[in-house]
Amino acid sequence: MSTIILGIFEEGLVYAILSFGIYITYSILDFPDLSVDGTYPLGAAVTAAIIAAGLDPLITLPVSFLAGALAGICTGLIHVKLRVRDLLSGIIVSTGLYSINLRIAGKSNLPIFSKDSIFSNPVVNGIFTEGLSQISKLSILLLIVIVLKLLLDAYMNTRSGYLLRACGSNRSLVISLAKNDGFVKIVGLALANGFAAFAGCIMAQKQGYFELSMGTGMMVIGLANVIIGTQLFGRLSLMKSTTAVILGAIIYRACVAIAINAGLEAGDMKLITAVLFLVIIAVGNLKKAKLKASHS
Amino acid sequence: MKKMTGLTNRERRGTEDRRSRRALLVIAAALMALSLVGCGSSSEENSSAGASAAQTTAAQTSGAEGEEANAADEETEAMAEASEGSYSIGIGQFAEHGSLDNCREGFLLGLAEEGIVEGENLTIDYDNANSDGSIAAQIMQSYVGSDMDLICAIATPMAQAAYAVTRDTDMPVIYTAVTDPAAAELVKSDGSNVGNITGTSDKLPVEEQLQMIRAILPEAKVLGIMYTTSEANSEASVAEYKELAPEYGFEIYETGIGSQADIPIAADSMIKDVDCITMITDNTVVASLPIILDKASAAGLPVFGSEVEQVKKGCIAAMGLDYIELGKQTGRMAAKVLKGEAKAAELPYELIEGASFYGNSTAAEELGIELPGSYTEGGEVFDSISE
Repeated sequence: MSTIILGIFEEGLVYAILSFGIYITYSILDFPDLSVDGTYPLGAAVTAAIIAAGLDPLITLPVSFLAGALAGICTGLIHVKLRVRDLLSGIIVSTGLYSINLRIAGKSNLPIFSKDSIFSNPVVNGIFTEGLSQISKLSILLLIVIVLKLLLDAYMNTRSGYLLRACGSNRSLVISLAKNDGFVKIVGLALANGFAAFAGCIMAQKQGYFELSMGTGMMVIGLANVIIGTQLFGRLSLMKSTTAVILGAIIYRACVAIAINAGLEAGDMKLITAVLFLVIIAVGNLKKAKLKASHS
Repeated sequence: MKKMTGLTNRERRGTEDRRSRRALLVIAAALMALSLVGCGSSSEENSSAGASAAQTTAAQTSGAEGEEANAADEETEAMAEASEGSYSIGIGQFAEHGSLDNCREGFLLGLAEEGIVEGENLTIDYDNANSDGSIAAQIMQSYVGSDMDLICAIATPMAQAAYAVTRDTDMPVIYTAVTDPAAAELVKSDGSNVGNITGTSDKLPVEEQLQMIRAILPEAKVLGIMYTTSEANSEASVAEYKELAPEYGFEIYETGIGSQADIPIAADSMIKDVDCITMITDNTVVASLPIILDKASAAGLPVFGSEVEQVKKGCIAAMGLDYIELGKQTGRMAAKVLKGEAKAAELPYELIEGASFYGNSTAAEELGIELPGSYTEGGEVFDSISE
């Protein structure tokens, strides 16, 4: 029982990092970004390759974020400069990344069980001895997620962060400030995919291997986390959206765990996710429609 | 006036917001409650099982003291047997797939051979991850959480997920259908165990297969293999074919595909350049075997299989694996661990015990090929093509 709950929190926290990215693209930029299906395993591939080469696992953190950001910039350039539609730009980048990920990792399944990782190295093992070893992963994940959340919150309050927020909701404001909204979009996509790759980096070290197909459906998982989080907690004035997203990720993982423990076929999970999506979004939309009707 | 409506609207929105938020919170709370009930009941079962075991041992000692308590003694003995010999296994399978299903079926048969029978003294919790890595991890966590006696992981990604989740615990894991446990880091490169995990490998008998193809087609030169670039198992097999092929005078023509959708085109281009095709245990390609057989037979090319099911479907022959047998072998290993005869950490991983010949006389006749008697006598020959 405690293992299941621990598992829910651990997995939820990893997917929360991914959801920060989806939150930027989906909620702030209003850009359905499918490149995360490629950038999440990109982060994992880079990480596994670095660790398998025997380098310090700490290097993987900045490198995977940068790799993801680079891919995000590609999506942005394809969309802004080549005028390819948003969904399509993401599909193009994630398709291309499949081959690139395979090249980076060298093979489709690269295990790093036997190597040091950010979760298992002499320093960590020294701090979390015997009785504490069970919560070592959770503690490290919590630390990473909180730091990332604070950084993202701080960024949103900078000039660049304001422009990012304005870009999705009020494009003309950005233009009236004599700013190029295309550039702002590219920055947003770079950040978002940096987060996605970072999540892949953490997951690869947590599970101990890179698997080429691990990115499939990540957009949907991230979206579920963001929608659940922002719809359930988003309007609580005391809570930041980033916190809501973290909670959303944990709740979604809890739902998956409950479904599995209740003996549900894993194959049915996607349908349940789809229905959950629809209900949450429909509730929001119907409410808006009602509001409009009462207004006229 | 305008200001007024604006205000009321905002107010209305506020109450509706609150109402819908409350509704969502209720749903969330219900879900959480459900989870607690689910987990609670399983832990209750566990604790009650523990209590009954304690009772039986207490009864046993008191029974041994008093001779009159014979009847009671017999009863407690029966109870003790039941609680001692009652096992729970979580079987996690990576994908829905004929060969993997056979592994699972064989696994249960192997356990039954050792007297561990599902429904009698064995509870099985079976989950399929449908090729989703994030689900695979969650399935394994749920097994560890519900304190299974043993985990059975079918296929490489599932075995890795199991190892990742159990490496900090002492839960034994038995895997099967892992082609190269060393490449997957499930055993050390010297073959010793990495933890409380062991199992069986479905490494193909490549050498025997090449020998057989040479015996059936003395003239053939180029041997075609199609594989999926995302399947680690297949890469290992292709590498072994490439290494051994020259010894038997073959040249390997490999075609990597990205997904099922690439198979027809890849098959067309491969058929132009090869003398025969051999299948490996590639999940994606095997699932599309009928397409390949169709195109190959139109071109008059023989296709060799890698396991019995493929021969039944129309491959002319295979020195192959029988996944039911592999599963049985795995089941017997699991039985040893469950009965406490050996620890998973001490059992070395096993390869399949002997490859056997499977032929399809109908498929061979259609191509005007004769299956050599030296093979058919010791093997199994099917005379029809199943759909």
